[in-house]
Amino acid sequence: MSRLFILLLIWLPGLGLAQEALVVIGHGSLPKTELSTLQRLYTGRVVSIGEHAATPVNYPAGHPLREKFLATVLGQSEEQYTGYWLVRRYVGKGAPPEVLPDVDAVVAHVQATPGAVGYVPVSKVPAGGNVIFQR
Amino acid sequence: MPPKITPVALFPLLAALALPVQALDLTWSGFGTVGFAVSDQSYNYQRFIDNGGTFKRDTILGGQLDARLSQQWSATVQAKLAPSDHGDTDWQASLAWAFLSWRPSDDWLIRAGKIRLPLMLNTENNDVGATFDFARLPQEVYSISPLTDLVGLGVSKTWFGESMDWIAEAYAGKVETSWRYYGREMTPDQGAPGGWFLTYNIKSAGLVLTARSLDNIFRIGAHRVEASRDGAKIGTPILNIGGVYQFGVGGEDKVILPLFTAGASILLPAKIRMSGEYAWIKVDSASEGLNRWGAYLSLSKRMGAWTPYVYYAKAKSRDSALAKYQAINGNVVPSPYVASQKFFADIILPYDQSTVALGTTYRLTPTSLLKAEWSQANTGVASSLVDAPSGGDSSDKSINVFSISYNFTF
Repeated sequence: MSRLFILLLIWLPGLGLAQEALVVIGHGSLPKTELSTLQRLYTGRVVSIGEHAATPVNYPAGHPLREKFLATVLGQSEEQYTGYWLVRRYVGKGAPPEVLPDVDAVVAHVQATPGAVGYVPVSKVPAGGNVIFQR
Repeated sequence: MPPKITPVALFPLLAALALPVQALDLTWSGFGTVGFAVSDQSYNYQRFIDNGGTFKRDTILGGQLDARLSQQWSATVQAKLAPSDHGDTDWQASLAWAFLSWRPSDDWLIRAGKIRLPLMLNTENNDVGATFDFARLPQEVYSISPLTDLVGLGVSKTWFGESMDWIAEAYAGKVETSWRYYGREMTPDQGAPGGWFLTYNIKSAGLVLTARSLDNIFRIGAHRVEASRDGAKIGTPILNIGGVYQFGVGGEDKVILPLFTAGASILLPAKIRMSGEYAWIKVDSASEGLNRWGAYLSLSKRMGAWTPYVYYAKAKSRDSALAKYQAINGNVVPSPYVASQKFFADIILPYDQSTVALGTTYRLTPTSLLKAEWSQANTGVASSLVDAPSGGDSSDKSINVFSISYNFTF
């Protein structure tokens, strides 16, 4: 019962946020970018935006924001995305983006880490935040 | 048996450890397959499969460490525990990969260390059953290359297109590898049936071109393999001297083996996936049967958690090699020479077989799946994938194999 309660505490806020539009935020120096670059960044095929090194972060598998991002930005299901990285990792082409537990952690990481890229609901963009992609 | 580790292969690990702890971003992952296979024949097929059943053909356990050293540098080490590649009874712990990666920009990737080669579509990931649907990759094709990894350098350049990425990969390096032989009546060391392994020194280089989109992949490659043995000649001819086949005089210190590979995996309408691969190799050695081609064509379709598939595969040695095998195998000699004639026929290493397979994958989670497969292999003149029974041979055999496995990553 307590485990269920903890799960609800974790996921219910995420479910509410998933109703909002997502925007992609980057550390201060990163320039605006386009959809195709984001798709390549989150599939490990590029490691930069413009001339700037970029490192994406993600949410855990099953997180509502991640599901929405995969569907609307990458056009993939969780199963397809996990399967893609499974093969890519085991052909020696790198590891999937680092996973952070929630929106607050993503915002804090992006603000503190040069080159970091993450996605958040529009209402969670911090004051002065660098929005690098918005649909 | 101690882990098989070369000093060069340890370089990426040492490079990672040399950095300050806070600079390291380490990611562990593991993979494995627990697989059981059983056939309807008493002799072994693909080294281990007989009517008693075996876990040794497909079972494997591995782990991979990806260390991100900086934005441009990373190191990868993959270790595995699997049946030995230089003995039929032991298990072997070995480093499958150990390389340092440098990615100076989006389109360049340079890897140095022990790397797996981009030969067939699934060569690089063939130890990780969770990454493909077949219970086991068609051996008519996947057994053709005399090596799958080497210690050296690999460079890849990517051109990004609107819907497809184009990748050119070049590699060069060397490795020591073991090739298996089987004598149905005798081996070089004993007058009884058995397998034996010869160690070859391999130098190889190749160029592979890949076109990849989210749904489709096309690949073509040309490879040059140079093989030699310490203190031994390769290509010593087998001659009929006085009615008895035996080694003649000659041979080379090294042989050059050209290898050509091609493959495609395409998503058709109705989300049916069609995959096909082809490989061809030329080998100038006493084992003339290694001159062969192999190909397969498969169809699969994902339906929810299920992915049923069917494939047909075939491998065939050059006609002259099969004819030579038949001549030696059928040579009528006095009884003291019979076993030696079968020995010389066996080391021709002939391949003439086809396989039809019907199977399915059931995906339990995105990272774990169950597989079940029925396959039937049919041999023609002979097949070196079969350990021919004593007193018989591997011609005109029909071998039904049932395989089931649990494949996972974590």
